[in-house]
Amino acid sequence: MALDLSMPILVVDDYQTMVRIIRNLLKQLGFEEVDDASDGTAALAKLKGRKYGLVISDWNMEPMTGYELLRHVRADEGLRTTPFIMVTAESKTENVIAAKKAGVNNYIVKPFNAATLKSKIEAVCGA
Amino acid sequence: MGHSATSAPDTANLSPQKMVAELIQIADYISHVRGEIAALRANEITRDRIPMAHEELGNVLAATAGATNTIMESAEAILALPDDADYRAGVEAQIYTIFEACAFQDITGQRISKVVEALRHLELRLARFATAVRARDDAGLDPAEAARKERAERLILNGPQSKGPATAQDDIDALFA
Repeated sequence: MALDLSMPILVVDDYQTMVRIIRNLLKQLGFEEVDDASDGTAALAKLKGRKYGLVISDWNMEPMTGYELLRHVRADEGLRTTPFIMVTAESKTENVIAAKKAGVNNYIVKPFNAATLKSKIEAVCGA
Repeated sequence: MGHSATSAPDTANLSPQKMVAELIQIADYISHVRGEIAALRANEITRDRIPMAHEELGNVLAATAGATNTIMESAEAILALPDDADYRAGVEAQIYTIFEACAFQDITGQRISKVVEALRHLELRLARFATAVRARDDAGLDPAEAARKERAERLILNGPQSKGPATAQDDIDALFA
């Protein structure tokens, strides 16, 4: 199955520079519909207002972290199947395992490159 | 001195001479502590060094954010260049802008060195003071620190590791294979 380049993607990160980097990488991969939110609370509000094909989220944000956002998404009947990739500097095994248990689809450690992002999106959204 | 500041002598059984000696010791101790407090130069720390550190770190943040913005703007401009005869000239112009933006590293390095020096002074003075007055920390954490620690533990907020990722991407990938 080819990637659906028209699917809207929500990037969640409290650092605008990182949002900009991921936006540019996604644009290079051909994705045009990229939206962003600065923390889990703002992301959840956007997710309830629009259907996204993928969420790419940081972990460490305030007030709501990416980990909490993931748990909210997986607990919500209407959102639970939304693909979710964590992109974070949280690289301890306990973080990865906790995210996997909570239902994350893939996990990228910062710093990362375009090839890693592409391969994870393909793995999650089907290539 | 014979008595610590926290152990009060049994004054009822003291002779006047011993009581005077005790009072002299207490006065000496107070004088000693006053000297150590003066050596701490707390006013200088709060008036000069801490505000300087705040200002320098603020400048570092602003410089890194500004440089990052400039570099990203140049990169985005390169990506948006039309594929025509002027392409190489356009790329070179943006690359020179990127080189100029990278000059921030030298200045921010100097600013951070000043902050590190201020922290070193602070550490030395506090260590000397703590030794002089035999300071002991209160048990437990203050409420704000306790709340921060509880949140970090509950939400597994470890932060970036000091020597690169704790788990390599390949090992993470293996968990998702």
